[in-house]
Amino acid sequence: MSAVTATISEDVMKTVQAKPALRHEGAKLGFRLTLPAQILVLFIAVFPLLMQLYISLTDWSPLSGLGWWNAWSLWNNFANYTDLAVDARFWSALKRTAIVMIVCVPVEFLLGLALATLFADEFPGKRIFYSILLMPMMVVPAVAGYMFFMLFQSGGPLNDLLSAISGMPVTIAWLSDPTLALIAVMVADIWQWTPLMFLILLAGLVGVPEDQIKAATLLGANPWQRFVTIVLPKMRTIIIIALAIRVIENFKIFDTLYIMTGGGPGVATETISVYIYKLTTQDLIWGYVAAIALAILIVLSIAAVFAMKRMARAREVTA
Amino acid sequence: MSAIHLQNLVKKFGDFTALKTMDLAIADGEFMALLGPSGCGKSTTMNMIAGMEEPTSGKILFAERDMAGVPMGRRGVGFVFQNYAIFTHMTVRQNLAYGPKMRGAPKAEIDRRVGAIAEMLQLTPLLDRKADRLSVNILQRVAIGRSAIMEPAIFLLDEPLSNVDAAFRAVMRTELKQLQRQFRQTMVYVTHDQLEAMTMADRIAVMDHGVLQQVGTPLEVYNNPANVFVARFIGAPGMNLLKGKPAESDRGLVIDLGTLGVTPPLPAEIAAAVRGTQGDVLYGFRPEQAALVKRGQGLSLPVTFVERIGARTIVHLGQGEGAVKAVFGNDVGLAIGQTAVVAPAAQSVRVFDAATGLAVRAG
Repeated sequence: MSAVTATISEDVMKTVQAKPALRHEGAKLGFRLTLPAQILVLFIAVFPLLMQLYISLTDWSPLSGLGWWNAWSLWNNFANYTDLAVDARFWSALKRTAIVMIVCVPVEFLLGLALATLFADEFPGKRIFYSILLMPMMVVPAVAGYMFFMLFQSGGPLNDLLSAISGMPVTIAWLSDPTLALIAVMVADIWQWTPLMFLILLAGLVGVPEDQIKAATLLGANPWQRFVTIVLPKMRTIIIIALAIRVIENFKIFDTLYIMTGGGPGVATETISVYIYKLTTQDLIWGYVAAIALAILIVLSIAAVFAMKRMARAREVTA
Repeated sequence: MSAIHLQNLVKKFGDFTALKTMDLAIADGEFMALLGPSGCGKSTTMNMIAGMEEPTSGKILFAERDMAGVPMGRRGVGFVFQNYAIFTHMTVRQNLAYGPKMRGAPKAEIDRRVGAIAEMLQLTPLLDRKADRLSVNILQRVAIGRSAIMEPAIFLLDEPLSNVDAAFRAVMRTELKQLQRQFRQTMVYVTHDQLEAMTMADRIAVMDHGVLQQVGTPLEVYNNPANVFVARFIGAPGMNLLKGKPAESDRGLVIDLGTLGVTPPLPAEIAAAVRGTQGDVLYGFRPEQAALVKRGQGLSLPVTFVERIGARTIVHLGQGEGAVKAVFGNDVGLAIGQTAVVAPAAQSVRVFDAATGLAVRAG
């Protein structure tokens, strides 16, 4: 009996810690095992990155008649980067990308969470609705782009529907109005990507231990209190993952949008990806494109590191 | 403080009847164990008391107040789950404070109550520990404290020791019993482990297949099982039951066990009761009550297996319908293949009606 009590108190007092020497051994082996993959990454990521850095310091273009390795002769004293700082079209594209993200990701998250909460319980026809709900995600983005392109035509089904409801002819030129066009591309993005958010959050939601929810209920928590104090904290990690995936993906928003508006009217829906695409395929100034892409990569990397540090700190505080 | 009355309680899940007409009165402050094998309806009964499930028919009364339609958060019931259901993303303090906080108690009062309950359960040094890295006996105390802080009239415990290894169980049984003495609440304890029920409960309700078999103190259900199920279920090993016909002899009423021979004469009181029955009976006695006797004074049986478990030795005798187990001290000299003559102590013999399975009782 005394032996048992002794183990209990040791158990209580001791937090599990791996021995440092052991951890070092493991790290060495781990490094060796991942070496082939690391070499591969070197060629896939590091080499193009260095190439990009090199080109971004020159005026090189595929039309300049030089191999890219000879781009040094077109060295331009960091002109690409100084141009970038004053490129109004670049900054407004960046701002637009941010606006789309700030609107789309939270809307997708809230809709996804609401749907996940709904689907966590049983209701008649759940399987059918579930399949229908996942369909947008399976549509090829280019096809979704054409769908919404036609939906938002001034003679299209959406205006027909609005006419039928309001009883007077509605002829809104959705994709020709700067503000409405931006809204339209956001609607398309939300339509297509809410299902992914829903799917990830549903997986997190069904993983919340049911007896803890029951325990909370027995202790007098109402549904809202249960959601805030038990369900959300338990879903914390999966929420962060879902948001991270969507923020990264949304920043690169391109295909659906490009087919719907081509970045227009004018530059009203021109996001970073669309701007870079146009510079690459129409203006063919690849040195400048390389500079933009690199600048964005650096800014995003810094943001990602900052976000991850904050996440780690938040986890320590709650741990 | 509150008594619990279950009146004609029935629970059906579709076509399956989980609980058939249960009547049970649990006194104020009593420790009642619901004991039975898995699927016997004990957890269903408890979930209905807690309000997690609605009865199909029948009533649940807390101190004469009908609980029908009262949601589980308002029944004043403390519930300790099988795995404790501790909120692992919170500290011990946050777990304990959860109930009062959800009810909107002022912060000063919450602090006072958490402090008091932590002191009582010796959790004070652990209050700011995260709850996901605690040992199982601490988790148990947190689970109890989290419910106890609400000062529930009734405490329900759902197999709280089933995830614990055997060595811990002994420690925690003692701890639980002491906690019950401290809190003096009505406790309902669901278990499939008769040792837990025997050691902790004031009374035991034995259940099987959704039917309440017997309610009584631990010694009552052990000594005087109401039917064959209870006789076999309680005790380790369970009661020996041998089928036979009552027969008169010059020494008094005996049971003719067929190929096993004839039992020693029954005590007068039981004999009188057995004379009033018809058909076959089951002759029952506890393995612990069997003794080795001279040839001709008991049942002669071959030894088929000898189980030595330290302090005691369980000897398996005979085979099939006529199998008997007997428990002796560890110095018993029997070996496989030998023949043993055993007879139960006269006063320990119990007789059951073979057709109904019910005990044939004197008086």
